[in-house]
Amino acid sequence: MKIMAFATLAALLAWTMPAIAKDAEPQFKSVEAKHFPRAEGVELTPAFSDYLYAELRAELTKAKLFGQVIGEDEVVDAADAPKSLVIVGTITEYKKGSVVKDALIGFGAGMRSLKVDANVARRSDQQNLAAIHVHVKVSPRWNEKIMARAAAKDIVKQVKNSLKATKAS
Amino acid sequence: MCFRRVVPMQCCISVLCALASITAAADDPKPTPENTIHVQLADPVKPQAFSRPLKFFLVDVVDRSGAAQPMMVFKPRGGIFLDHTPSEITRTGLETCLKSANMLAAERDSADLLLTVYLFNFGLSDSSGMDFFGKVEFAVTLKNPKTAKSQQITASGTSIAGAAIRKKNIQKNVQEDIERAFADAVRNLLRGVKLRDAVVALDVPPELPASPAQPAAVPAPPATEKPPAAG
Repeated sequence: MKIMAFATLAALLAWTMPAIAKDAEPQFKSVEAKHFPRAEGVELTPAFSDYLYAELRAELTKAKLFGQVIGEDEVVDAADAPKSLVIVGTITEYKKGSVVKDALIGFGAGMRSLKVDANVARRSDQQNLAAIHVHVKVSPRWNEKIMARAAAKDIVKQVKNSLKATKAS
Repeated sequence: MCFRRVVPMQCCISVLCALASITAAADDPKPTPENTIHVQLADPVKPQAFSRPLKFFLVDVVDRSGAAQPMMVFKPRGGIFLDHTPSEITRTGLETCLKSANMLAAERDSADLLLTVYLFNFGLSDSSGMDFFGKVEFAVTLKNPKTAKSQQITASGTSIAGAAIRKKNIQKNVQEDIERAFADAVRNLLRGVKLRDAVVALDVPPELPASPAQPAAVPAPPATEKPPAAG
């Protein structure tokens, strides 16, 4: 019985060790997120862009796909450039929404919405690895920064899926 | 109906309410050892390598945030205060990083480049309400004392930390958040492309004779020396 238990434990350890080792080395050395500029006609405060940038960096750190989430315009070693990514994007549309429509009609009417387009490129050759389109809708009663948070989560989720798909293919 | 007992009671309650509200309004948070945090860089940021070894001298750190109480970073729940001014924290942080890489000049005359930091934001900024948004923002004027040419660069750092309910946890999260934002800003400055470009533009190799300072020939607008406060 004891031998069986030891064997099971050893098998379990042998099975989990590669997974632990795999976590130790992320797929990419670094990622740099840039501030997303606003397209013409998008009426959002500059503070929103800062907040979206901070949320995006926080979500990228949580994703554990990258060894390091570096700041905007930071120097990267030439040797690390092929394994480094840059995320650039634009806030293409923002609709403020209407509390009245939301209250009277509901079913998505009068929602506050944000559209963001982003590209993930390899730093060394600027090869585009993923094109991301995010459309976030929240209640018009909510703070616009909650929308930034939702957008950042969505962007990172799509980045993760795209990179996994690229790796698999 | 007899109102004789009710009216004095109502008056007393009204007076008590008024007194309580006046006391609350007058109670601006005050720094105490319990609500004071110490912000510093966890590890010194390693600056980027330049084409030749350079020495920097930190001339001054000027607070341009315009905050009435620069040391108060969080007002609700009795407030959270910094133990040093943002200028002192920034100066200490930058000097530690430069010293760790042997890039800090002992005195002004021996420096290759002089740094003057203008601090625009240090602490927490408006967030979604579900977290803390730490933000540190400054502009740095680099000046070559030999040529008197100067250039200005900006650096910023942000960080997001989770909200908390208990005062102790709020204080911990705010401290971590500001420390991360500060480290991010210092890193953005010392490892940034902007610093590299500014150094390339301003640095004069030692073998070349440096041209003397010609204030009339060098178009150095006053805005470069003293940047306006960020809006």
